[in-house]
This record gives sequence, C-alpha cells and structure tokens, in this order.
Amino acid sequence: MPGFGEQLERLEAIVRKLEAEDLDLDEALKLFEEGVERLRAAREQLTQAESKVKKALKGEGSGR
Amino acid sequence: MGAPLDLFAAASAEGAWTVSEVTRRARTVIEAGLPPLWVRGEVTGFKAWRSGHWYFSLRDKTAQIRCAMFRDDNRRLPGPPPEGTEVFAFARPSVYEAKGEFSLTVKELLSTEQGGLWKLAFEKAKAALQKDGLLDPARKRRLPPFPLRIAVVTSPDGAALRDIEAVITRRWPLAELILVAAKVQGEGAEASVCAALQVLGKGTLDVDVAIVGRGGGSAEDLWTFNSERVARAVAAVPCPVISAVGHETDVTLCDLVADLRAPTPSAAAEAATPDRVDVLAHVEHLAERLARGLSQRAQRTVDRLDRTGDRLTGAMQFRVEQSRALLTAHGARLDALSPLKILARGYAVARDEHGRVLKQVKQLPAGREFTLRVTDGEVDARVR
Repeated sequence: MPGFGEQLERLEAIVRKLEAEDLDLDEALKLFEEGVERLRAAREQLTQAESKVKKALKGEGSGR
Repeated sequence: MGAPLDLFAAASAEGAWTVSEVTRRARTVIEAGLPPLWVRGEVTGFKAWRSGHWYFSLRDKTAQIRCAMFRDDNRRLPGPPPEGTEVFAFARPSVYEAKGEFSLTVKELLSTEQGGLWKLAFEKAKAALQKDGLLDPARKRRLPPFPLRIAVVTSPDGAALRDIEAVITRRWPLAELILVAAKVQGEGAEASVCAALQVLGKGTLDVDVAIVGRGGGSAEDLWTFNSERVARAVAAVPCPVISAVGHETDVTLCDLVADLRAPTPSAAAEAATPDRVDVLAHVEHLAERLARGLSQRAQRTVDRLDRTGDRLTGAMQFRVEQSRALLTAHGARLDALSPLKILARGYAVARDEHGRVLKQVKQLPAGREFTLRVTDGEVDARVR
C-alpha cells in the first residue's frame, strides 16, 4: 500500500494540473482516470473499519 | 529524654562490661533518647555498595556522623547525592554495634536547594543533554501528516495503550499500532523503557511516528522518564517521538528530548493522527475539483471546435462571395464583347451560305445571295 500522504499529494497534483494546464484532451483523460483510481483507493482506506494493534517482537527487557 | 543517664549504675559485679554489653546499651539508650529526626548537613565520603545500600557521612563545620541509607529507601531517589551537597536527612539515630559506631539510618534525603535532589539530578542530566545538542529546538521533527504505522512504547496492560487505541480507532483507523512493550514504572522500568526504545532505534520496525507514554502515576514513578539514559534513547529513535508521560505539571527529560510533548496518551494519539472525517471531506472536495477540471477541459475542446467551425464557415462564405463578384465582373465583360450587343447597336453581319462572314466588297459581286443577321433575326438578301 503506498503511503496515504503520497497518494493524496499525487491526487492534489493531478487536480491542479487538470485545472491549470492546457493539456491534450487525451492527456487530460489519462490524468482523470488516474485521479479517479487514486480517489477510490483513498476513500477505501479512509472508510476502513478498524485499526490493528500488533505486538512488536518482544523487545529484550520488555514485559514485567 | 527521660531521667538523667547513669551509665555506671548497671555495672556488673566484676566491675567491667563486655564490649557487646556497652554497645548494646548505648544503642538502646540512643534509640530511646533520640527519636527519628531531620538532620541538616553536607554529604561526604559517599559510597554505594553493590548491595544497593548507600554509606556516607553528614558533616558540618565541627562534627560528622556516619550514615547508612538502605536500598529500599534510596531506590525512590533520582540518584546519589553529589559530594558536598547540603541535604536534609530524615534519620533514625542508632549505634552500629559491630563497629561501635554512632550512626544515622537515613530514611529520606532532600537537597536543601529548591526542589531537592530530584531537581538537582534533573538539572545535571538536562545540562548534559543540552551540551550534546539534544534539546536544540531545531532538532524537533515534524510529525507525519498521515501516519500508517504508529509505535507505542508502554505497558501492554496499562490504561495508556487502551486510550491510544481508542483514539486511533476513532480518528485514523488506517494506522497500524505497533506495541513495543515496556515496564513503565517500578524497579527495572528505566532499563525496560531503554530496551524498548532501542528496538525502535534500530529502525527495522519501519514506523512513521512513536508514542512513549504511560497513564497517570506518582511523581516518583515519573523518574523513569527523567532518566538521562531514557532521554538519550528517545533522541536516538529515527522517527518523530511524542512523549506522553501523563503528568500535566512536571516536564520530564523525556518530554524535553521528544519532538512533541503531550499531556496524556490520548492527547498524544490525537496529535499523531489527522481526523479521517476531515481528510475524507478534503478527498471529496478533490473529487469535485477533479470532475470539474475534466469537464472544463472538455468544454474548452468543444469551444475550440465551435470556433474552428465558425472560422471555416466564415472563410467559405468569403470565398463564395468573392467568386460571385468575379463572376459578375466577368459576365459584364463578356456581355460587352458579345456580337449580339453590337448588333443591338444597329450593326449587321453578312454571311454566305456556308456561314462565313462577308467583310469585303469583292466578296459581294452583283447577284450574290447572302444572309444578313440583325439584332432580332436573319433575313435573306441579294446584291443588286
């Protein structure tokens, strides 16, 4: 799973590009498709139900 | 103190006491006569034994007393008193019979400086950390905005872990919590917390941010987080560290070295994570902008096509009109040159039976028949 932060940054970059630059329609469509895919992934991550607690390898000297 | 002492009253029949008898008697007398009291003096000749017991003397300008402070009592102190420190000692006067030595059994030790020994040890450690640049504000790292792996150094069954877990589950369940178990109070806590921090220090757990903390507790228990060793171990962790030692009023060394100090473990978890409701709203906003961005981009294409169409039509119209004008002009010239036009002006054309034009007199001998073309038709004619 790519970092959520990178995902969001890329999405923001796509939106800015689409808004500001005069791209080929073809290129714009490609960016849009990528944006939609990243949106889907971000939404999915955000609506995930529960966090997981994992125990790290028992650190030496840990515990009681 | 009771009745005046008469040390010789109980002399044995032989007129001499054994050494043990004297020391025992002295001890009894002293313990009965001098109840536990606060003594003020300067620490000298300090020695900590392997057993954990401390031995030193308290002195002033003219006298000194041997002192012992046993492990169970000195364990709660931040550290040994530096040589020469002036202290208040709460002690029980006694006689150490094996050496016949008058001594104090110290139960409690405070520096006469404000804050006592704690403060003293704290300031000393703080100065050492400062010297190594570990308290430099420029060292503070920014917390990652969207952490996916959060390490928690705390007790596996303490309130701190439960609180942190609850906050993360509510705010940012994308994150995985990685518990690095440590004993956070009592004997061995310092070593345990250091070991856990060293596990983090290896960097192999690949976490974005770490929370070091515990729930509430007494100020004495706080000492673990005032240990210079713990502070240095915090500084060595490769990711940003939030200290959540659970004490509102006392700032610990761990707090000072950490990248952020949170008053409670819950607050630390809040500081470590964004609220997914906010992030989701931001994502939806981006979704709208994405859709609008594309439709605007498409609209620009449609507009351009329209404009191109207009230009094409315009160009065509111009061409057509140009051609029409040309045609009219040509038509006019053609018209002017037309023989019919000349005939209309009253001229006539004579042609022989083969249609050849007869232009000269010699072509028209007498009796010659020919056709004469005038403006509205032809007539047959003959030369007389």
